Parts: sequence; C-alpha cells; structure tokens
Amino acid sequence: MEEYKIILFLCNWGPHTAYQQLQDDGYQIPSEVKMIRIPCTGRISKALLFKAFEMGADGVAIVGCNSGACRYGSGTLKAENNTEDTRNIIDLLGIGRERMRLATFLPDESEALKKFLTGFCEDLKQLGKSPVQPAGLQPVEASGESAQQVIARYDVYSCQDCGKCTASCPLALSGKAYSPRNIVSDIIRGNDTAEKVYADVHACLTCGICHERCPSDVNFPEFIRDMRCLLNQTRVSGERIQPHGGFFQSLMRTMTSKDIRPNRWKWLPKDIQVDPDSKILFFGGCAPYFDAFFKKHQQVNTVDILADALRLLNFFDVRPRLLEMERCCGHDLLWSGDRTNFMRLAKLNVEMIQDLGIETVITACPECYHTIGLEYEKNGISPGFTVTHLYAFLENAIHKGAVTFKPIPHRITYQDSCRMNRREEIIDLPRKLIQRLAVEQFQEMKDSGRSSLCCGNCAWTGCDAYSKALQVKRIRQAHETGSDLLVTSCPKCQIHLRCAMEDPFQETELKMEMIDLTSLIARTICWE
Amino acid sequence: MAKKISKTEVIVTGFGGQGIVLAGKILGMAAALGDHRESTLVQSYGPESRGGACCAQVIIAEKTIQYPYVKMADVLVCMSQSAYEKYKIQIKPEGYLITDRDLVNPDNQREVFDIPATRMAEELGRTMMANIIMIGFVTAVTSLISEKAAREAIMSSVPKGTEEMNLKAFTRGFEYGRSKLKGREKKAAGQTGAIA
Repeated sequence: MEEYKIILFLCNWGPHTAYQQLQDDGYQIPSEVKMIRIPCTGRISKALLFKAFEMGADGVAIVGCNSGACRYGSGTLKAENNTEDTRNIIDLLGIGRERMRLATFLPDESEALKKFLTGFCEDLKQLGKSPVQPAGLQPVEASGESAQQVIARYDVYSCQDCGKCTASCPLALSGKAYSPRNIVSDIIRGNDTAEKVYADVHACLTCGICHERCPSDVNFPEFIRDMRCLLNQTRVSGERIQPHGGFFQSLMRTMTSKDIRPNRWKWLPKDIQVDPDSKILFFGGCAPYFDAFFKKHQQVNTVDILADALRLLNFFDVRPRLLEMERCCGHDLLWSGDRTNFMRLAKLNVEMIQDLGIETVITACPECYHTIGLEYEKNGISPGFTVTHLYAFLENAIHKGAVTFKPIPHRITYQDSCRMNRREEIIDLPRKLIQRLAVEQFQEMKDSGRSSLCCGNCAWTGCDAYSKALQVKRIRQAHETGSDLLVTSCPKCQIHLRCAMEDPFQETELKMEMIDLTSLIARTICWE
Repeated sequence: MAKKISKTEVIVTGFGGQGIVLAGKILGMAAALGDHRESTLVQSYGPESRGGACCAQVIIAEKTIQYPYVKMADVLVCMSQSAYEKYKIQIKPEGYLITDRDLVNPDNQREVFDIPATRMAEELGRTMMANIIMIGFVTAVTSLISEKAAREAIMSSVPKGTEEMNLKAFTRGFEYGRSKLKGREKKAAGQTGAIA
C-alpha cells in the first residue's frame, strides 16, 4: 500500500514538549507523520498550509499552544483563522476539509497529542489518498526558446527609444524607477538573467497602456508575459516573485490535477435556475476562492457577481449549465510565467466543456473572457465553442427593449478592467450599459477609457509600495469625481482597491463603496 | 388571436407622411399574399394623407370580405395624439391599443402596448422607418400576420435599395414586441426584477 503523508506543523513551545515526552516514553510516532518544528503556528500562512497539499500531502495538521498560552499573544488566533480559510478552500477544491486540522496542547498533554495523531492517521486512511498530483514537483517543460526569439516575435527591435511607454506607465508615474524601454534594451543587450531585469519583468502590470501608446506597435505586455515564461523555466517556485506567498499560483497549479472534483458551485443561492441540458455554459471563474482567501481580511464578496450574472441570465430566460468541475481558466498562471501548467488547465477545461456539447460559453470575468476566448486558440487549443462576455449578452438583450432600470440614489464612476480595455469588440460595452442605468450622475475619472489606470496588480505578481501608491492615486481620482459609488467590472479590481482603502495611514479618507457593474444591473433591472 | 377569430379589423392611424397607408398596405399584403387569407384596405386620401389625421383601415379574414370599412377595430395603432383622440372610441373592449410612446399620451382608460417607434427609427438613421418598426411590433404583439409573411411584404413594398434597412427596422420592432410580451408575462407572474 502506498504510504500516506501527513505534514505536522508543530509549535516549538507548548506541544513540542508534549511531543518529546511521547518520544521519551518510547511511543512510535506514526511513520506517515512528517514533523516540521515551527516557532509559532501564527506564522504558518495560508500559502504554506496549502503548499503542503499542492506538494502531495494527504493531510496537514497544525498543532500549537492553547489560546491564551501563545508566547507571542495572537499566534493561536491567527492559526485558527488561517486554518478555517484553508479548510474552506480545500473544500471548494474538492480535496475535503477533513484533511486539514488544527489542535492545541499544553506541554503536559502528551496523551491527548498521541490520541490526536493516531486518530488523524486513521481518519485519513478512511478518506484515502489525496487526489492531488503534485504538479509543482514536475519539471517545467522547457520551450527551447531563447530571449532572442521572444524579442523577434514581438519585433521589439523596432523600439525607437522614444520613451512614450515610460511616460505613460502607471508604475513609472507612481514614482517607481521603472521604464519599459530600459527593460527592452537590457534584454536586447543580453542582460536577461540579471536579477534587476527579473524583478522588473515581474513588476509590470501588463495593463497595456504602453502598447496603446507605442508608435512602433510593440506589444509590451505580451512580450513581458513570454519573458516571464522564459525566465521562470530555470527557477523553482520558491524563487519566483509572487505575493500572497505564491498561494494563488499554488492553488491554480493544484487544479491541474485531473482527479480532483471541485465543488465550486455549492454556495449557489436557491433562487437561481440552471439547466443541466443547456447548450450554454456559464463559466464562473475563481471568485469563490478569492472570497475564501480574503474573507477575514477585507470581506471581499465576489461570488455575488457570479450569482447576479446568473440571475441576469435567468431574467432573460436563459438557464445555463454550470461546470461542476470547472478549473481556473489559467490566466494568472500564464501571465505569471507558467505556460506548462496553463496549458494543462486549458486542455482540461476545453475537454470538459466539449464533452458536455456546449456551444456557447458566457462569462462575467474579463480575464476568463480574454483567456478562453483568445489565449486558448493562440496556444494551439481550439475551443470549438464561442465565448461571449456577459456584457455583450446583456447589451443585446436590453437593446431589444421593454426593459427599464430602477433609479439608484448614487453618483457613480467606473474603474476599467485592463483586459476588457484591450479588446475592440467589448471595449465600449460597459459604458453603453452604464448609460442605460438610472443613476444620479455618471462621471468619468481623470484617466478613463483607453488611458485608464490599472487597479495595481495583475496575475498575483508585483505588489509593492509603488503599486500601492498607484491604487491610492486611483481611488483619489474616483473621489475627485464627486461620486459615492465606484463601479468595477473585474473581481480583482474589487480586491485590490479594497485592500488599498484599508491603508491605516489614510484612515477613512479613501473609503468608498464599490459594486460590480453586473450586480448593479441585476439589482436595478426590471420589466417596463 | 388571428387563428381563433375569423375576422380581424385594424385601424392604423397617425399624421400624414408617417407611412400610415404603407403600413396598412403591408399588413394587408402580408395577410393575403404570405398567409393566404383575405384582406382589404381602405385608405384616407385628400387633405388627411397630406398632414392631418391620416388613417388606413385593414380587414383580415378567412372568408370573402363583403364590407371594407371598419366601425370598431380589434387592433388600433396610433402614431399621433390627434389620431388617438379621433379614433380612440373606435376600438372594441377586448381590442389591442398600440401607440408610439413618445407621440401619444393615452388617457389610461385601457391597457396600452406602446413602443418608442419614432425614436428607434431615429437611432437606426431614418425617422421614416417608424412605420416598419410599428409593423414589427404589431406582428409580435398581436400575431395578426406571420413574421415570414410580414418580411416578404416589406421586401416587396419598400423602395429598392432600402430593403435591408427596413428589415432591420422590422426586426427591431418585432424583438421589442416579443420582449414586451415576455415582460408582461413575467410581471403577471410576480417577477419584476432580476433579484427576487
């Protein structure tokens, strides 16, 4: 029988004494248990807890001191929160919440610890092996590509050194010593392995303003994306630049395992009607995971966007099918430089959707739309179904008429989504829809439309003081419009801007209510 | 409706120049040529058709029509306020009152199916096409004529070179009518918004 692996994070203080007591008493610690001695359970982040599952652990136990006995004060409380969130996430992922446990022991509770360890081992054997196949341990398939080839693909040589990119780059404008033009010349000169270049390549927001302004039409965001894929080939995940401890990349790599059975739709409200025979699929995206991860921190509630999107489809008599086993579309893996695992996710998703005989995929997420609708094809996976953004569906349905909107007592402004802003066929849709709403006032921010500012992060890479300054600048722009409601179209804009609003140095100055356009429409639409 | 009642009487009315007579002609042609039923048209001529309250009376029936004038209409289409005032008494209690929302202010005595046809026509680029939009709307709301027949009749009645635009206008009105019906159905079922 295959051996089970249980990772035991064991606090140095209370329980470690109990653990040693067990060993002194001659108790054989079960061979499945791999103990890692840690200074405090509060320091084991969600990313670390989850990482164990990603790397193939069948169970994770985090064992610390009793609440109140923590040497550092709040360690146990933090561990409780992290455990709760991680359990919710592995439950959504279909790994099963029972595989993650938190326990606390005093130094003299060795018997209780023994019971806990043997009990956990037995329970896990009942559950069976974890369905995760560790993707992170497999070597990244080298594309055999050189930096020169990437440079040639995007014709980066045609850079005229004019500096329009730097002059428009939101990061440079926030004060960071950052210049797309210099990155390009560094890479052309063959400095692509330098640490500074690596950091700069990963700091890029890939928002695409530089491409918009470039007189030579150098597609800088895609160049950066391919450079990330290239540079990361030689790095193991720990050496990569990934905020949140690389949690999200880890999560998405885990989703490449064929055997996991995610149940990401279990939260679905009762009033929503779906049809398992429909030829239209609603692709939700990762919102439920985001909510589980950020729950304690900022009360992010992005699943509302999915529920409201489904309600809007229902409103127009569309009862879509949902894909129970839906994976991440792969956007963040691709844009953080992991093409291998992106391809795995893409193939899995396309296979599953094709097997259902789906003709149209509707999504409310700009990144899913961009990735499934465009990147899959570009990377040689032809979907065989059409991909529609919810806004396109809504605009079409509302245009037919006999629909009106209840008045909203708010003055609104709109935060563009970068991915949506670079796609000709949908770029005008959010504003068309906003114009239909019965709001008190709609006022554009200083930078809007094609020259709109990014929310400050992309693909969970490159979060630093400058991107924070950028977010603060953006929220100030929103306040300057005199609006009291900020409308967004991407769940990540919500997450990142909300994070910036929590800045303790700004106190409540930045606070502003936010709502996704989908939710705003769903809450006010009605028949004439 | 058309299937159950053997004879349907329609009054299309509005300002002269809105294409009222053409709308009546298309309705009748669609019923006769496309749906293979009987139809008659009596159109106003003289001063009305040059600016006053213009009127087209259409009868669609399964059997031969003996008398072509309409006393009480099953469907009354009004595209101007003065026409509405003049003809509002000539509608049966169970009939359909159909108006251009921006041009007619009805006195709330009965249920109205309204459509901003003229505004839609402006959006499409030609105010003239309001009548075709209205035909689309009437087709969807009353099922007086079939959609296919209506499209064919429009194709053969409008000036050469404008067929495509007119069909687009028809679709606009037709879809509006359909979603209007759907909206009424939903409202009747107690569902007004997207969130219960």
